[in-house]
Amino acid sequence: MKLTGSAGLVGLTGLAGCSTTSNTTTSTSTTTSGGSGTDTTTSTSSGDSGPYTIGMVDAITGSLSAFGERNQRGKDIALADVNAVGVNGRDLNITVEDSGSESSGGVSAAQKLVNQDGVPFLIGAVGSGVSLAIYQSVIQGTDVVQVSQNSTGLGLTDFPGLLRVSPTGRTQSGALANIIAEDGYDEVAMTYVNNNYGSSLADAFANAWDGSLAYNNPHDQDQQSYAGVISEMNSSGADAWLFITYQAEFASMVNEMYSSGYEPQLYGADSVSGDNVLENTPEGSMEGMKVVVPSAPVEQDNYKEFVSTFESEYNEAPTVWSAYTYDAVAIAGLSIQAADEFTGAALGDVVRDVTRPEGQKATSYKAAHDILADGGGPSDVDYQGVSGPIDFDENGDPVGFLQIQEVKNHEYERIGFIES
Amino acid sequence: MVLDLIASGLVYSSIIVLGSVGLSLIYSIGDFANFAHGDTMTIGAYSALVTFGAVGTLGGTLLGLPYGFFVALVAGIVTAAVVAVITEKLVYQGMDVGSIGLLITSIGIAFIYRAIIQLRFGADFTRYDIQVLRPIDFLVPYGIRVTLHDVAIVISALVLVTGLHVLLQYTDLGRMMRAMSDNPDLARVSGIRTDRVRLWTWVIGAGLAGAGGVFLGLFSRLVPRMGFNLLLLIFAAVILGGIGSVYGAMAGGFLIGMINQLTPILSELGSLLPFVPDAWGIPIGIEYADAIAFVIMVVVLLVRPTGIAGGEL
Amino acid sequence: MGVRAILADPRGYWTGLTRAEQGVTAFIVAFAALLLFGLFTGGLSPTYFLFLVGLAGMYALMSLGLNVQWGYTGLINFSVAAFFGIGAYGTALASANNSPIAGDLAPVVGLFVALVFAVVLALLIGIPTLRLRADYLAIASIGLAEVVRIVIRNEDQWTNGSAGLRGIPTFFDGWPVLSTLPQTMPGIVISWLPGETIVLRQPFWQAALNVALVLAFIAAGYFVLKRAHRSPWGRLLRTIRGDEDLARALGKNTYRYKMQAFVLGSLLMALAGVFYAHLNLYVEPGDLDPLTTFYVWVAVILGGAGSNRGALFGGFVIVAIQQGTRFLNAFEWIPFDVGPLRLLVIGVIIVLLMRFRPEGVLPPQRELIWPSVVEGAPEQPDSGVRGAKGGESSD
Repeated sequence: MKLTGSAGLVGLTGLAGCSTTSNTTTSTSTTTSGGSGTDTTTSTSSGDSGPYTIGMVDAITGSLSAFGERNQRGKDIALADVNAVGVNGRDLNITVEDSGSESSGGVSAAQKLVNQDGVPFLIGAVGSGVSLAIYQSVIQGTDVVQVSQNSTGLGLTDFPGLLRVSPTGRTQSGALANIIAEDGYDEVAMTYVNNNYGSSLADAFANAWDGSLAYNNPHDQDQQSYAGVISEMNSSGADAWLFITYQAEFASMVNEMYSSGYEPQLYGADSVSGDNVLENTPEGSMEGMKVVVPSAPVEQDNYKEFVSTFESEYNEAPTVWSAYTYDAVAIAGLSIQAADEFTGAALGDVVRDVTRPEGQKATSYKAAHDILADGGGPSDVDYQGVSGPIDFDENGDPVGFLQIQEVKNHEYERIGFIES
Repeated sequence: MVLDLIASGLVYSSIIVLGSVGLSLIYSIGDFANFAHGDTMTIGAYSALVTFGAVGTLGGTLLGLPYGFFVALVAGIVTAAVVAVITEKLVYQGMDVGSIGLLITSIGIAFIYRAIIQLRFGADFTRYDIQVLRPIDFLVPYGIRVTLHDVAIVISALVLVTGLHVLLQYTDLGRMMRAMSDNPDLARVSGIRTDRVRLWTWVIGAGLAGAGGVFLGLFSRLVPRMGFNLLLLIFAAVILGGIGSVYGAMAGGFLIGMINQLTPILSELGSLLPFVPDAWGIPIGIEYADAIAFVIMVVVLLVRPTGIAGGEL
Repeated sequence: MGVRAILADPRGYWTGLTRAEQGVTAFIVAFAALLLFGLFTGGLSPTYFLFLVGLAGMYALMSLGLNVQWGYTGLINFSVAAFFGIGAYGTALASANNSPIAGDLAPVVGLFVALVFAVVLALLIGIPTLRLRADYLAIASIGLAEVVRIVIRNEDQWTNGSAGLRGIPTFFDGWPVLSTLPQTMPGIVISWLPGETIVLRQPFWQAALNVALVLAFIAAGYFVLKRAHRSPWGRLLRTIRGDEDLARALGKNTYRYKMQAFVLGSLLMALAGVFYAHLNLYVEPGDLDPLTTFYVWVAVILGGAGSNRGALFGGFVIVAIQQGTRFLNAFEWIPFDVGPLRLLVIGVIIVLLMRFRPEGVLPPQRELIWPSVVEGAPEQPDSGVRGAKGGESSD
């Protein structure tokens, strides 16, 4: 009957909602209540041998889902390495929630992780706007430690409580300005993707660039035709074109330039480079393009090991974004190891020190763990990550490594390094 | 720059025309606004992707496109048509909710199409495995930068649209479709099998949309949202041309496509017009290209709701 | 029926409901029991629960607004997201830290600004479109909503563009007692749960305040709508929905009434946007995503066009789907991505609803009649039916 059918349908949707009451994931460890502003849960029953659970907000779906996939891979490899050694003799568990690449999704994901699951440590998020929204509406005022894995927007520097393993985009923009000037151009046509990431990098570039900006216009993500942008850049008269955008959009633009026969000198920020672009553009279409990419120190042993693990697991080379997430997870594990108790306040006290230059250098989680397990304190260890030395400064920003790549024979080749 | 933009406008228009003609047909004979039309284009594109991957290039090329691509094009058209017919039989046919209810239902159908494609193919972008071409040499000195692919798209769209015109004017089915669009009750009374004509309308309308999707994938790239992104522009084209008129939809599609691609000219009008100072221009940036089309749509609805053609098929 | 009447004769009340109402009531009671069970056993955190209630309230507000436009008057308005966004941006531009126009004003000023923006936008969108046929109105409204989104995203000097507006204070910031309530209220210790002691501090009180705010908004809206629904104005709107030519033939200026309904609905949607801004503390152009419009439409269709209770129910179901699918992530054996799965569920719900029950789960019935009239209706006499007509006594 129609009515029962609809009632059944309502029941089905209700069941989807019913899962809000299902038991959450693993238990938190036994702690006494601490922290001034947080809800706390004290387990009187023993949770002493269960795993530690932290939270992660990632862009599993939405416009930034490509980053989400890279982050998940980095996280999986990191968890394997961390749990091979253990944290205080126990395992580390990460509950991942999807932000949908939107600030509202990120906030509701963080609400679930912080208030429902009670995590004291949150890795999140990808988009700079999302990280800021999470920080201001959920994290700020509590003791939960937030470390962003991918956000490069300049705004995060204003919040010392919001840490990140990915360096600020200002270094990238400054480096691009220098490179273009050194190549002898005094006029640049620039287009950037119209979101928080693109506009903040574009602003930083405009500040750092001494020459003239013949063209400075945003473009929308996810459009079917960028012929207008390319046409306008061409008629601006500049011979150096700068692109701050993502792979999908840039691939379309490259094809448009190629099929129109334009051959300017191309420059790009980090997200325009990647295998997806190489696969979907013709040979010779980007010859001589220079890209500035945040990078791991490629000569370092721990990075090489990371690359080989990644390649054997996923059959492709890792991007730095996976490396950042790897380090975020490792730092979480080390903070738990170094802290007195598994609460936000205690973790917040030690999270910076485990990566600061004071202390013995440790290039793997295992080495750092051993130093701490042997009775060392957080300032006795200096974790050097697979993405760089990290070294959180007073604004919660890490030291940045940049790689300058040039496209030769339709492959990316490293031609230089910049340390900030 | 102007010739360059006109060329890309022609290609973009061809794609939009393929979509708007199909939408107008369905609007006039099925009598509701089909919000799933954009995602029908996406279905066509992805079916062609799968077919082209399976079939390969099959040897030679025509206008820079391998023969296998044309096979994939046919596959895309057929798949889109089949899916539309199935949807009509399973969903729309049994419903008694009036054109507004069908409009809302078609939104649900659009979500279902898109979700299935994304579940199968993932959210990331892809392209057909066809080499991107350089512009045609002998046209470059004139400032026209088109590739053989662009020519192929325009010619194919012309062929398909001409075929539709022949169908409408010179065949029985076409006559019946025109009768139904004019006055469905009278058509039924005079013995026309209206439900069969409806099915054929879906086949043709969705098939054209599928073709449009395939060419869109060739012109730009394939993402699950590709059809939906274009849907509002197609609606603008249909309304500009006049709802219910296929020839109006052709004109509307052409105009909307051209206006959308020619937006860069607005800020440079001074340098193009003879007696106007060079620095002058209408300061509307290209980020407003879509918005311009929507505003045109609303203006048409206010001033002349029947559009350019106004009324009949 | 009053609560006392229900308690006095529960069985009579129950049999007086339609099958659908019985189903929904049973479902709600069962779900509430489940939630309470979760809260009391510690499976569901009270703070998170209150956050979800806040979200449901936000969608319920938007559904109430759309109900005025579509349910009462038959206006197919696909620009819900634009009004939600303009409400959020209105209050954000007034009260955010980095607002390019004003900034750091009290949130109540922001509320006022948001409502003014909503009225202006309603006029801007309504004047061109409300004279159009229903399906043209749909297409035009979605086009104009996109124009609004594009303008907000690109006019940096007015809206800060894609960088967004942050540093928005919570709504009660600056109020004498309420602004420090979350910090000063003592923690609640819940220690009767088996094996766990929960201490609820600031986040809990903050969430409670937010829920109180959205409930206040909903109560105000619901009260206004309930009276409007039963008034002659509401009757006229229903006539317009059913047959606009008839209304016009009766000499009514239907355009004016449609505009009034449109503005009223828009105010409610903007109210939801205001709540959102002071909940999320950050607004960006992505908040005007058209998907919000479709979610609210599903809520209203599900609840039943024209039914306020249905709108509330629909809002709750939407949040259940949105956030409930989050918990699917825990089941890793599901081979599908959750994002497109959610889209598929929404699409299937729309199609099934329109196919099998287009009037929704709780179509308006006795809602439309003043309760005093129902209670005062003459009883059917045992004999002499004719005399009972016209209010004559049955002597």
